[in-house]
Formats: sequence, C-alpha cells, structure tokens
Amino acid sequence: MDFSFTRQQEMLINMVREFAEKELAPKALDLDEKGEFPHDIIKKMAQLGLVGIVSPKEYGGSDMGHVARMIAIEEVSRIYPPLGFFFQAGQLAIYMFQMFGTDEQKKNCLTPLCKAEKVACTAVTEQTGGSDPSAMQTTAKLVGDDYILNGRKVFITLGGVADICCLVAKTDDKFNAFYVEKGTPGYEIGRRENHTGMRCIPVNELIFTDCRIPKSNLIGQEGRGLVAALTVIAGIGRMGAAGIALGASRGSYEAAVKFAKERELYGKPIINLQGLQFMLADMNVDIEAAKWLCYYAEWLLDQGKSTREIGSEISRAKVFSSEVAIRTNIKAIQILGGYGTTSEYHVVRRLKDSIELLSAGGTQEIMRVTIGRNIMA
Amino acid sequence: MSLNIVVCIKQVPDPEFFSKITIDPVKQTIRREGIPTIINPLDKYALEEGLRIKERFSGKVTVLSMGPPNAREVLEEALAMGIDDAALLCDGMFAGADTLATAYPLAGGIKKLGNFDLILCGNETVDGATGQVGPQLAELLGIPHITFVNEIKWTNERELIVNRALERGYMKLQVSLPVLISVVKGINEPRLPTVLGIMEAAEKDIKSFNAQDIDVSEANVGLDGSPTRVTGVFEHQSKRKGEMLEGLPEDIVKRAIKRLRELNAI
Repeated sequence: MDFSFTRQQEMLINMVREFAEKELAPKALDLDEKGEFPHDIIKKMAQLGLVGIVSPKEYGGSDMGHVARMIAIEEVSRIYPPLGFFFQAGQLAIYMFQMFGTDEQKKNCLTPLCKAEKVACTAVTEQTGGSDPSAMQTTAKLVGDDYILNGRKVFITLGGVADICCLVAKTDDKFNAFYVEKGTPGYEIGRRENHTGMRCIPVNELIFTDCRIPKSNLIGQEGRGLVAALTVIAGIGRMGAAGIALGASRGSYEAAVKFAKERELYGKPIINLQGLQFMLADMNVDIEAAKWLCYYAEWLLDQGKSTREIGSEISRAKVFSSEVAIRTNIKAIQILGGYGTTSEYHVVRRLKDSIELLSAGGTQEIMRVTIGRNIMA
Repeated sequence: MSLNIVVCIKQVPDPEFFSKITIDPVKQTIRREGIPTIINPLDKYALEEGLRIKERFSGKVTVLSMGPPNAREVLEEALAMGIDDAALLCDGMFAGADTLATAYPLAGGIKKLGNFDLILCGNETVDGATGQVGPQLAELLGIPHITFVNEIKWTNERELIVNRALERGYMKLQVSLPVLISVVKGINEPRLPTVLGIMEAAEKDIKSFNAQDIDVSEANVGLDGSPTRVTGVFEHQSKRKGEMLEGLPEDIVKRAIKRLRELNAI
C-alpha cells in the first residue's frame, strides 16, 4: 500500500496551484459577476496540457491519467470552482471521443478539444429527467446515409459555447451517441439558465429540429450510445464533481483557518476558542476523508478498472465530497462571521458553486441508489 | 550558431514557511525539517531567460546546482520547464560552505560540463541574500560578470547590451560572450512547466558530480574552505504590535490621525 503522490504528481500539484493562484484568484470575482465564458483562460490551461490531461499524446493530450486529472480539478477548484466545472463538463466529450470514437473522429474532434481550439458539451438530459435517461424523447431517424435529429436537451453545461455537441438520441428503440457541429442547420442553442453558482459556465437548452448529420457522426457502436454516455458520466462527470467539491471545500477551509488565526476577540485570535477548533477539526476530517475517496477511485481508473466495476467507489466519492463541500463552506461562513457572506472572502461563492454539484453528474440520491444496488447484489 | 548556456540554481526553503523555521539552540543551526523547498525565486528568472535565449539562437541550456541529494527536486522542476540537461554537485565534503566555497565547486562543475558561452544566475537567494556567488564564480572562471540585470538586448549572437537596475536609475553595459549575468525580478515572467514537461523531466537523466569528479581541492570547499563563519544564529523578536481600527473609512481616518498624534508619530 502506498498513499503518496509520485514526484511527477507533486510537481503537477505545484504547477496547477501556482497557475490558479496567479491566473484565477485575481479574476474570480470579475468572472463571476460578468458570467462570461473565459475562453482565454481555458486556452492557457490547454497550453499547460491540463485540458487533455487524460487523453493520448497522439491526439494532443498529455496522458497523465485520472489521478492527475483529480489533482488538476482539485487545485483549480480550490481557487475557482467554475473552472473545475469546465473540466467536469468539457472533458465528458473528450473522453467520449477517446473511449468510443473512430480514429477519424479522434483526429477531427479530440485533438482540437485537447488544445481548446474547440469546446464541446455533452447532452443527455431532457425534460423527462436526467436521472431517468432511458425516458428521453429525442430521436435520430436514419434516412439514407444521414441521421435526422429532433428533440430538446436541457441543462446542458457549456451548451451555449460549444463548437461540438455530443448527444444521445433514440433510433427506434435503440440509444445512439452522435456529435453535431455548431452551425449545422437545425441545431439551435436555446435559453441560458440563470443558475446560482458556476456563473461563468453557460448552461443551456439545446434544440434539434430536423437536424441532419452524416452517418459518420455516430459515436461508438450502434445501440450502445447510452452505455457510452453513462461510462463517460461516471468516470469523468461524477469524478469531476467530486474533485470540484474537494477543491471548493479546501479553499474555504484554508480561508477559515487563516481568518481564525488573524481575527482577534477577547484579546486573542479566535482560533483559541475551543468551539471554533471543533468546527475546524470537523472540516479537516471531512476534507481528508473526501480526498482519499476521490483519489482512490481515480487510482482504480488508472489501474484499468472500468467505471462499471467501480460504480460504488465513484459514487461514494461524489456523494460524500459534494456534501462535505456544502457543510464545510457553511462552517467557513460561520467562522468568518459577518465577513463570511461578503464577496471579498470568496467563501459564499464557493458555497453557491458547491450547491450546483448536488445534481451535477447524477443526483446524490442516484449515487446512493448505485451504492445500495451493489450492497444488495 | 548555437549557445551553450548554464544556469546555476539553489534549493531554498519556501519563504511562505519562513515563520515555521526554528533554531537549534545547541547547534546554533537552522532546523529545516518539514519546511518545503523550492527553486530560489530569482533563479527561476535566470532559467526563463536561458530558455528564451535558447529559443532565439538555438543551443542548449544546462542547469547546475550544489546541494544535498534531495536538491535533485529543484533540478527536476527546471527540467520540467524545458531545460535540456541537469547536473548536481553533491558531496558530504561540500557541506557548511559559505559563498566562496560554493563558487569553487560550481566553477569546477561548469568546467566539467565543457564549453560554455553564458552563465546565468539569480541575483541573490532568499535564504542567504548575499548576492556574492555569481560574481565569485565569474572570477574563478575568469570571465566578466554583470549583476542586477533586468533586461538583455542582443546586438548579435555574441554581443549584448544589458540593463543594470540600480537604486536611483539604471546602467547600460555592452558586453561580449562569455559572460556571467545575475538577473533580478522583472527581466521576464517565468513560465510554468507543462504537464508534458513534468512527465518528460522524470525521464531525463540528472548527472551527479562529487568533489573528485570536478577536481576541486578539499581546502577550497565546505566548512574548511569557507573564509567566513557563522558564529551565532538568533531569532529576531519583534516588539512591534499592530492595532486594528475598524468602522467606516471616514471614522478610521480621523481615529488613525488621532492615534498617530498621541504616539507623537506626526
């Protein structure tokens, strides 16, 4: 058993931390207020090799694996969770092409995505509910050499800025995965949701009206589209959400410790108050526990386990970390007192971002259902 | 035409943890256990400048450091930034060296590495802050040196004009290679290593030279070779105490002026 990071992983931690502190920290408030997608920052992250961190080198990735991806998401989210959310959502399509795409699709789509020359979204959820994807109504009718898409997707993260959309639709009673490029007639971006957190990452409705795409836009095997999407959602989406939660927790915990050491009451720093130490100790235990659930699941993926084999490990990491993020951020707000909900201290912003994680990549209840089913089996 | 550039760097305690450094009252030495180490901040500017010069003229950048075995870590970080080659001068005999006894092995290491055109250093370190090693090294190598450099302009591949940042202005100097230049903050913005750079760094070989390899005499290195001695180390006790005024800015200003008058500060 070895719980230590490799030297390369340690260097990655330092690199991403420095990047986040220099590039993201000064811009976080502004990005949140404006709500504009930060293309320039995403490009810088791609130049550092972070966007394609789990992808093969031959397609512009850096192939450092899932533990490395967790490091990147944790460190970015420690400062600014919405950019962790970019990894969570943007890498869904990257992984989809990587795992299930043809060589041609990898060359045409995966490479520009790893380099952030293009951005992609992944559209599964519909009005019928994200937790029951099999109830989806979007259709893909095969006509000659083309598929014709009709339907609506909702709550699609990055939908408004995506150059490529990976989606799942029904062909008769089979689920197929496809990709559609921006500008394809019949592919329309609908309204942007006004979510409380992750403000600079647009979440939109997407509308497909007689949208014709070539048969070569089918991703993976026919009829295996939903399986492909769920594989990607588990390995990338859920682990991504877990990593954002971990980073968001740690950022606010560190802010709370710093504040408690500096803020004086009754003639000494408030960290001397035992009631406050108890709160910090609880936060500390929660974060350490979440950290090891997250890194263990990612390590298993690096060992070659499939997302199906480690459904419980992934779900544990996601369900626990997301809840830790909520309670850690609330405790941090309590410790900071009146300052806790001011924008300058960034804690309330992390709480708002953390709330979004409760449903991202699957609800907390779906995580528990997955774990419960494995207990029953 | 390509240039052989050597950048000298030092592993130093992370300044963010300086407050956690304690002193061993018996041995009169600094306890560094548990204090993370980093590349001396100014040395990163030297590394970046070396890389930029290489990108302009082609050539090779080698990073050199003297230190204990774990100083390999800062060399790995330099390699991750894109430095071509690394060497560590490591020998128990080097321990306890002052600046001159550091410059001797560095000069030996540079000679061992072969031909060079340009040596780059950070102007000083955050732990010792003497700024002496660069100039001493240049003297031992018999080449000119220029310190406090915040800009290098090339007139051709062998000749450069540098800007020395001085307290009340600057000095422009023209110099030909070979030369040693110590750089200050502002000369560039050091790059971050990329993920690929980090992964490739692990595959690169780091040379290790001991005293015998670089042919330096025991009398010139380590504690014995050091003409200066640290006779005592003490912890600075700050007697100053801060006072925090809170409230509306207008009130704070009035109260601050009142307090400063009470203290006869204004």
